[in-house]
Amino acid sequence: MTELLMLSSAMELELELDLDLDLSGCSTETTSTTNTAISADQWYDWCPVVDWEALAPTDQLAGGGDFHELIESMMEDDGDMDSPSPPIEEASNSCYTTTSSQSTDVMMLEEGAASNGEDSKGLRLVHLLMAAAEALTGANKSRDLARVILVRLKELVSPTDGTNMERLAAYFTEALQGLLEGAGGVNNSKHLIGNGNGSHRDHGHHPTDVIAAFQLLQDMSPYVKFGHFTANQAILEAVAHDRRIHIVDYDIMEGIQWASLMQALVSRKDGPPTPHLRITALSRGGCGRRSIGTVQETGRRLTAFASSIGQPFSFHQCRLDSDETFRPSVLKLVKGEALVINCMLNLPHFSYRSPDSISSFLSGAKTLNPRLVTLVEEEVRPAGDGGFVARFMDSLYHYSAVYDSLEAGFPMQSRARALVERVFLGPRIAGTLSRIYRAHGEVGCSWWEWLGAVGFKPMPVSFANHCQAKLLLGLFNDGYRVEEVANHRLVLGWKSRCLLSASIWTSPPESDFIN
Amino acid sequence: MFQQHKKPSSMNSHESHRPMCVQGDSGLVLTTDPKPRLRWTVELHERFVDAVTQLGGPDKATPKTIMRVMGVKGLTLYHLKSHLQKFRLGKQPHKEFNDHSIKDHASPLDLQRNSASSSGIIGRSMNDNNYHMVDAIRMQMEVQRRLHEQLEVQKHLQLRIEAQGKYMQSILEKACQTLAGENNMAAAAGSYKGNIGNNQGVNPADMGNLKDFNSPLNFPSFQDLNIYGSGDHLDQLQHNSLDRPPLDHHSFMPNNDSINCMGSKKRPSPYNNGNSSGKSPLIWSDDLRLQDLGTAASCLGPQDDHQIQIAPPSIERGTDQIESISDIYESKPMIQGDEKKFEAGNKLEKPSPRRAAMGSERMNPMINAGVRQGRNSPFG
Repeated sequence: MTELLMLSSAMELELELDLDLDLSGCSTETTSTTNTAISADQWYDWCPVVDWEALAPTDQLAGGGDFHELIESMMEDDGDMDSPSPPIEEASNSCYTTTSSQSTDVMMLEEGAASNGEDSKGLRLVHLLMAAAEALTGANKSRDLARVILVRLKELVSPTDGTNMERLAAYFTEALQGLLEGAGGVNNSKHLIGNGNGSHRDHGHHPTDVIAAFQLLQDMSPYVKFGHFTANQAILEAVAHDRRIHIVDYDIMEGIQWASLMQALVSRKDGPPTPHLRITALSRGGCGRRSIGTVQETGRRLTAFASSIGQPFSFHQCRLDSDETFRPSVLKLVKGEALVINCMLNLPHFSYRSPDSISSFLSGAKTLNPRLVTLVEEEVRPAGDGGFVARFMDSLYHYSAVYDSLEAGFPMQSRARALVERVFLGPRIAGTLSRIYRAHGEVGCSWWEWLGAVGFKPMPVSFANHCQAKLLLGLFNDGYRVEEVANHRLVLGWKSRCLLSASIWTSPPESDFIN
Repeated sequence: MFQQHKKPSSMNSHESHRPMCVQGDSGLVLTTDPKPRLRWTVELHERFVDAVTQLGGPDKATPKTIMRVMGVKGLTLYHLKSHLQKFRLGKQPHKEFNDHSIKDHASPLDLQRNSASSSGIIGRSMNDNNYHMVDAIRMQMEVQRRLHEQLEVQKHLQLRIEAQGKYMQSILEKACQTLAGENNMAAAAGSYKGNIGNNQGVNPADMGNLKDFNSPLNFPSFQDLNIYGSGDHLDQLQHNSLDRPPLDHHSFMPNNDSINCMGSKKRPSPYNNGNSSGKSPLIWSDDLRLQDLGTAASCLGPQDDHQIQIAPPSIERGTDQIESISDIYESKPMIQGDEKKFEAGNKLEKPSPRRAAMGSERMNPMINAGVRQGRNSPFG
């Protein structure tokens, strides 16, 4: 089997090399604009060969017979496809020699005519996206080339139709287009910064759409519940014998996390009678889902919920400055209550938060010696020094895993997924790309690393908590998995890709006796 | 029968200079301590167990009734009380007890021949045995504890999901109210009224959307539960809970029926059906409270008909939503027939979940390969 794979990858390699030779004339020097023009011409040469419309999934059913020929013609095309971005050509030499998992892909490409069509289109889209990213930022920058590639991409994809890969490519195309336009002038880039702050979320969509998409997201995937339940379980264990609990929530949103905590507090059997729960939500100016008005609404809803199940409860707001600086002195603390800092960062349905805001909050929180800090964040990969293209591809990989997981949740419900994608994922993709574009190679670290670095102590994840996460995932597709990393972090992943990480922290021991 | 059978061996042990135990008239073996303790022999214990079962189990039987049923002279309430207590605490003590006793009586002839030396051996082997047994028991108890904890966690998880679902429902209802208000203001009121009381859809485009949102949410979780359950210790529990939609009330709810059953309808506990007594005590004690809550929540909400309006996303609200990007995103209204065809098409394309999973699996590695290419490119 392995030999077979090696053989096939070797053949693939040969093919690539041949193509390299054929195209060496134009692939060595694509720097100048004249060459760009040539590339653009080639572009239109390749495309008519294949009737792209015939590849749409619905049509596949009708004309399955012609597929093999189609694919063969496409395979011949594949080499041309890559030519406008020389670095990719060059990289392909080493690409297929690395691991066997890649060889498997090659195998898969050669099997099954029906899937082959989708795959090679998907592969094409990936190459096009990478070419566009390369053209936009690489050593041989060419806006014109990038523009041409994006025009081509837009013809191939739509965010509402087609395979996962096609819809995903549509959002990445859109995001790249935004970068292209925004990068043209300094003034234009303003709206990108707006994106980064997450304000797009609140303006672009009707509130009902947002709620509906939120509900769908919860039903389709364990992401939301994983974060909330893991944090809540840790809180419950940490405050098992307290009479008063005070939770400071960094991003309360609709407050849905606290319903299950209240339920658990009310029904706990051992320990003192139902403790008093106080929640302080941070609120920001402006409008939308995190405005003061929304937080007030959340407070009312939580209060109503608490009283309906008999949970003693009070709710407060702590308003942040306009630059989102957190001043711990503004918090009203009561002696004898167990202080918990809850930090849900960048879950799929959350808006992006700037690192400054988060670090301001967490370092402010540190001065309060909290009993517990619960942190759930997007799992970030150490990006290396590959620059924009590498990080672009990494986020493409990341979101493809998210898309795949959603599709596996509801394979037939493309339109429900389209709503979730439109409301949550699309804007996130745009935000992510604009951030890595503006970051110029800076690599953000994970917040759990940050917490460790500033002196918080990691807490072990309990058996019950781990078990709960596993049971939760059991309710969804079996592609999800959860792993305990270094005994203090639960990482939720889809297949081989880690997506979310939950960790629990406490103040260092010397501050314990002060409390 | 008990006494007759017992007599020879006890006579024997009496003869063999063992001052520790004294055989009473009734066959009871008592220590010679100032405070005589009773030795619970196998036979005695069996009688005890018989009596207990006759009386309807360890929880119903009392020392007094047991004493009456057993009818053994010399047996006091005091003896029975402590033995019943141990018995109630679990099977462990008397399992151990049984094992020992089996050893004790494994070869009565040998025992009778040289009881002194053999009893020493037996004592040692019992000690060894004890040691391993304690280990095994400890392990078994650990497993049981974990399993128990897992069941507890499972129960809690269920309740938490329900609580979150209920809370979510209140958000949705609020959103519906808002939307209903908007709709009433708008001229669209006509088509809206058409929907009331007619679930089958006056507006085909809306129904297309509804279908899309509705159908998935009630089914996949069951299947997954099933799949999950079959490979696990919690098999039994899972199957029981399959009898009822465990996640129904957190599912999306433009559907009138699902709303009704969410709040006001009394649901059967999933653990009741065909459950063995071992599991029932763990389970579901707080359910009622939550159900009350559900009722309250649904009372807060608007009439069910309004729920329909949440599903259609942008179509109804029309042009004010369309921005530079959104004309690409705009979904095409389809009539219902088309919708069906479309779904059938999907099914053909991906006949089984397995197939779908394979398809989606493939996308990732593809990009992975791309990533490597991208990574390598600067150095290439």
